Amino acid sequence: MPRQRTDLAAHTGRAARAHWNACNCAGPLSRRDMLRSSAAGFAGLALAGLLADEAAAANANPLAPRLPHHPAKAKRVIFLFMHGGPSQVDTFDYKPLLARDHGKPLPFAKPRVVSSETGNLLKSPWQFSQHGQSGAWVSELFPHVAGVVDELCMIHSMHGSNSRHGGALLELHTGSDTFVRPSMGSWITYGLGSENQDLPGFITICPTLTHGAENNYSSAFLPAAYQATALGNASIPADRAKIPFIDNDQTSRAAQRLELDLLRQMEAEHLATTGPDLALEGRIDSFELAFRMQAAAPRLQDISDETEATLALYGLDDAKTKNFGRQCLMARRFAESGVRFVQVSHSYKWDQHGGLRKDHASNALEVDKPIAGLIRDLKARGLLEDTLVLWGGEFGRTPTAQGGDGRDHNPHGSTMWMAGGGVKPGMRYGNTDDYGYYAVENKVHLHDLHATMLHLLGLDHTKLTYRYAGRDFRLTDVHGEVVHDILT
Amino acid sequence: MIRPTWPICVLFVAWRFAAGALAAEPAASNDGKGGDEAAAKFFETNVRPVLAARCYECHGPDSKREGNLRLDSRAALLKGGDLGPAIKPGDPQNSLLIDAVRHGEVVQMPPKTKLPAREIADLTAWVAQGAPWPGSAQGDSPQPAPKVEAALDPQAREFWAFQPPRDSALPAVQNTSWPISPLDFFVLSALEARSLSPAPATDKRQLIRRATFDLHGLPPAPEEVDRFLADTSSDAFARLVDRLLASPRYGERWGRRWLDIARYADSNGMDENMAMAHAWRYRDYVVAAFNRDLPYDEFIRQQLAGDLLPPADDATNFERLVATGFLVLGPKMLAEDDPVKMEMDIVDEQVDTIGRAFMGLTLGCARCHDHKFDPIPTADYYSLAGIFKSTKSMENYRVVAMWSERPLANSQKLARLAEFEKQVARADGALKAAEQVAKDDATQDFYQRLLAGAVGQGVVPGAVPKDLAGFYSSENNDALAKVKAERAELEKARPDIPYALGVSDRTPQDLRVHLRGSHLTLGELAPRRFPAVLAGDTQPTIAPAASGRLELARWLTRADHPLTARVMVNRVWQGHFGEGLVRTPDNFGKLGQQPDNQPLLDWLALRFVESGWSIKTLHRRIMLSNAYRMSTTYSERGAAADPENRLLWRMNRRRLEAEEIRDAILATCGGIHGAMGGTLLTNKNHTYVTSTASANDVNYDNTRRSIYLPVVRSAVYEVFSAFDFADPSTMNGKRPATTVAPQALFMMNSPLVLRQTRDLAEELLRTATDDAALATLAYRRVHGRAPSANETSRAIEFIARYQSGLAGANVEPAEARTRAWQALCRVLISSNEFMYLE
Repeated sequence: MPRQRTDLAAHTGRAARAHWNACNCAGPLSRRDMLRSSAAGFAGLALAGLLADEAAAANANPLAPRLPHHPAKAKRVIFLFMHGGPSQVDTFDYKPLLARDHGKPLPFAKPRVVSSETGNLLKSPWQFSQHGQSGAWVSELFPHVAGVVDELCMIHSMHGSNSRHGGALLELHTGSDTFVRPSMGSWITYGLGSENQDLPGFITICPTLTHGAENNYSSAFLPAAYQATALGNASIPADRAKIPFIDNDQTSRAAQRLELDLLRQMEAEHLATTGPDLALEGRIDSFELAFRMQAAAPRLQDISDETEATLALYGLDDAKTKNFGRQCLMARRFAESGVRFVQVSHSYKWDQHGGLRKDHASNALEVDKPIAGLIRDLKARGLLEDTLVLWGGEFGRTPTAQGGDGRDHNPHGSTMWMAGGGVKPGMRYGNTDDYGYYAVENKVHLHDLHATMLHLLGLDHTKLTYRYAGRDFRLTDVHGEVVHDILT
Repeated sequence: MIRPTWPICVLFVAWRFAAGALAAEPAASNDGKGGDEAAAKFFETNVRPVLAARCYECHGPDSKREGNLRLDSRAALLKGGDLGPAIKPGDPQNSLLIDAVRHGEVVQMPPKTKLPAREIADLTAWVAQGAPWPGSAQGDSPQPAPKVEAALDPQAREFWAFQPPRDSALPAVQNTSWPISPLDFFVLSALEARSLSPAPATDKRQLIRRATFDLHGLPPAPEEVDRFLADTSSDAFARLVDRLLASPRYGERWGRRWLDIARYADSNGMDENMAMAHAWRYRDYVVAAFNRDLPYDEFIRQQLAGDLLPPADDATNFERLVATGFLVLGPKMLAEDDPVKMEMDIVDEQVDTIGRAFMGLTLGCARCHDHKFDPIPTADYYSLAGIFKSTKSMENYRVVAMWSERPLANSQKLARLAEFEKQVARADGALKAAEQVAKDDATQDFYQRLLAGAVGQGVVPGAVPKDLAGFYSSENNDALAKVKAERAELEKARPDIPYALGVSDRTPQDLRVHLRGSHLTLGELAPRRFPAVLAGDTQPTIAPAASGRLELARWLTRADHPLTARVMVNRVWQGHFGEGLVRTPDNFGKLGQQPDNQPLLDWLALRFVESGWSIKTLHRRIMLSNAYRMSTTYSERGAAADPENRLLWRMNRRRLEAEEIRDAILATCGGIHGAMGGTLLTNKNHTYVTSTASANDVNYDNTRRSIYLPVVRSAVYEVFSAFDFADPSTMNGKRPATTVAPQALFMMNSPLVLRQTRDLAEELLRTATDDAALATLAYRRVHGRAPSANETSRAIEFIARYQSGLAGANVEPAEARTRAWQALCRVLISSNEFMYLE
């Protein structure tokens, strides 16, 4: 399927602000479209030849590296996904008034649509203190992350629109909580290709099996080459997570080589009878890629060449942290090898409607050291400067209490942070209100986050489009503004 | 409706200010003239500067006037923009401006950073005061905003797809010996106009393979190939096509194609992946409809309005009800806290699917604004949406919501069910009463024993245990047991009534246009009717008491509908030639592609309707042509003049589709189970198929045809998704055929391929011992032909090397031989000759 890029300059900037006459359906026709419509009649067949060449070039290798729209600050992304919705007011968004007014009613209205009823304000059970040169406030839940806080760019004014996990996950991953759309990793791989032709361009490690499941990492209507390759899933420990069909227990590599050599001969003879055909030619290449992948992927997943110190850095020496630690370490190894987008998931653990004290503490314990280890390791290897690390959940939680020890979903205000790849280190951006319920200052919608991520990768979110079902689609639909203030 | 969320303190300040101002200055008027000096001062110091500093950048005199809104005069505020008036003087609660600055639900302005509370309070107070604007009488009224909704361009109807198909005489051709069917004249004439000639006919071996995959999705058995090759009669191919069309395998293949259009699945997908355990009845209905050549117009009427057709016998009524499952099958967000949004999203999915499935129109684009390219205004969209708003396709909109299912039972049986439910209610009542008696007696007894100090160990004195079941008297226990047994006995007599996904009408309701697609901003009423560009001024009437579904179905299937027949003949053509005459089968609008041969498309569409919308007749018409029998032979001349083969100078080569690949592997290697229908899904209805830590546990390890494997949305069988199975979350008339590494990994390592090729190797080794004979058997089985001498010797050499490699790894000779032949079979099955159709 050929790539489509159209110039949608008409829709940049404020078009995002709810202006219904500026939908991307309205974009001017791309060169390809114009060729196509003029080639539709018989008169344009010569032009159609150009199209076929373009299509052939795209067909030849959908994962070939491609130039960005503008110089990129980040080459790849590692997304640390905290499924369930970590509480901003218990982690990174310090709200002294919440402690002062504990037990009092929220002094302003709650949203019209909520997932459950909540009561009065609930102070955080955890102490906050300032860390690093930047003096950022971090709660005692994240002592290790507090140690690398000067590398982080905190966005305290994240907001989305869906108050349920399923809708919010899809919105975070695909930009839409209404329809099945391509995942951000698919868009990015579609835009930039991959830097390692022996590996998939988009990998998700132990992804969730619920709340949209594979629709969170699917390529939807983009070509299948941009679909994430899943290593295992949330029901499988990271050390047993594998690419589907990556091996079998009876065919040796030498035997498989014999088979591929025979196949290559057969295909060559067959091709001689068919005349030129790119799809047929591409098939034998796909077998060779699979053959190389069979060697490359397990090698990357085999961490026996890492030092004790590195393993300890990620918490692989501790039963509590070793599972997520291994995910983070694999993420570094894949990133180092040129995989464009790697997602690791701490699956559906952060949903504390009750049991906040106990479970938020154990969740944080499982991820804190591995995350800090990943940041330090990327930094030490010089990878942090062109790797964009993103941390966050599908939404935040209410500062008001659910029961005595819980918080409800809150898509109206939450904290996500980024590190590396062109964002200002040690920065805090945006604010929620005094209690941490609503984002109120320098609000960053999920669409804005997507626009900013694409921008850092050298992609203009208004130009990265794909024609499907009669219109040009974007990751950001008709929305999204790059948050320039946080860029280096 | 505006339901703002603003700080109470702000509200307080606002009202205090307003009340104070009014009390102190009774002269303050609501006429906006700003006659009052204090009000004027307040406006000039607290309001105008805020508007100027915070809003004019986008809504001022020199700006782009986003949303067609200006905020630089009172009249402009009153006039408002796309979303309606910005203020309602005296009523801040219902003023959009105030809702926006409070970052309410409709719009949030300024979008990035909320105004300081003080400024919000001032604006609120000012509106409450009547929005006085000094000098507003002196002509600073705004320029009229440009009209947003353009009227339907009268020329819009001229677009080819909105004009009825035109009949034409068979075009003249030079090579009069080539055409054997009318459609050949259209194809050849187009080729000759570009000085091209059609490819030579394909050989009979390829022809039977092509026809069998096209109609059955399966390879022909080697014996069938032999028979066809031996049949030299002139009508051999016509008889082959008839035989293939008469086989139930046909409905399985073409039914599956329709299921892509119907976005069929056995689970909801989206956010809450619940099993739709009754969906399979719709799938079986589709297979049966294709097998008995149900006329396509009737097929549409049944799927859209089967429940509303004149009653017939029970079986017919049930079948029609099952057909309406089409409307219920779509993916839905079942956990959406806003039920109105959930409902409109479901309606939208229905409108979008119907538009593209039956008319090739992307109506969904018009949900938020007039369609940018096709003449579909939002009003048309909401007119159609009203029809589905008036249709019950959901049981409820709770979290987690439940879709609509209908019992397949006649009125007598339903009456029996109702009577039975009454008995159940009575029995449940009796059970509850008996439990209450036992509980009360036990409680009383407990207190008595407490008083007597005779409570046993483990019971805290002074507290009645929550669970008293262990304290019931023996008489009460007996009585309870009896009632329980009766209740259980009764359950056995429950009338056995199957259920299907299906819809019914509910109180009809016209929708208002949803501005920007949001149910929070409603515009004009859009009475239920059909798109103006197609239905024009001769709109069929929809009775006030009807949803309009039946009228929609009848309108769609009118003989003169410009799109319905064209869209379907194009789908069938695509099923035979790999590409449609319109290469965007789901989009016949302006952004779709124009037909490559419109006279041919129109001719086929008209003949299709004349034949009584018979799909089997259409297959015959297409296949019994020389166009269909062309080979895929490459020609430099053709490739240079028409690289995309739009004029059909040869047959398109196509890769087998996901189901064809799996079914062909099964059929070739180990035999395929021919049973039809029913469900292999074991999950209970409306329970999770995948959840937090449980992978899709559906068992695909089965030799039934692929169409019968459950389709689990967002966790599609990995073999299918590797080979471009259509995403079942959206209708899809054209699957891509990608070439990616996971497909190769599947062929190299999947248990399915390993096991099937092992079975085949073992079977071959039971049949023959000689290597050359074995090679012949393997080629015949997989490729339907004997190997060449070169291929035979290469196979023998491969086997020898493979065996010696395994011997080096200490594998027993017999096992090594089996594995070597298994490897050869695997290579043959992986090859392009197997995976592609010439």
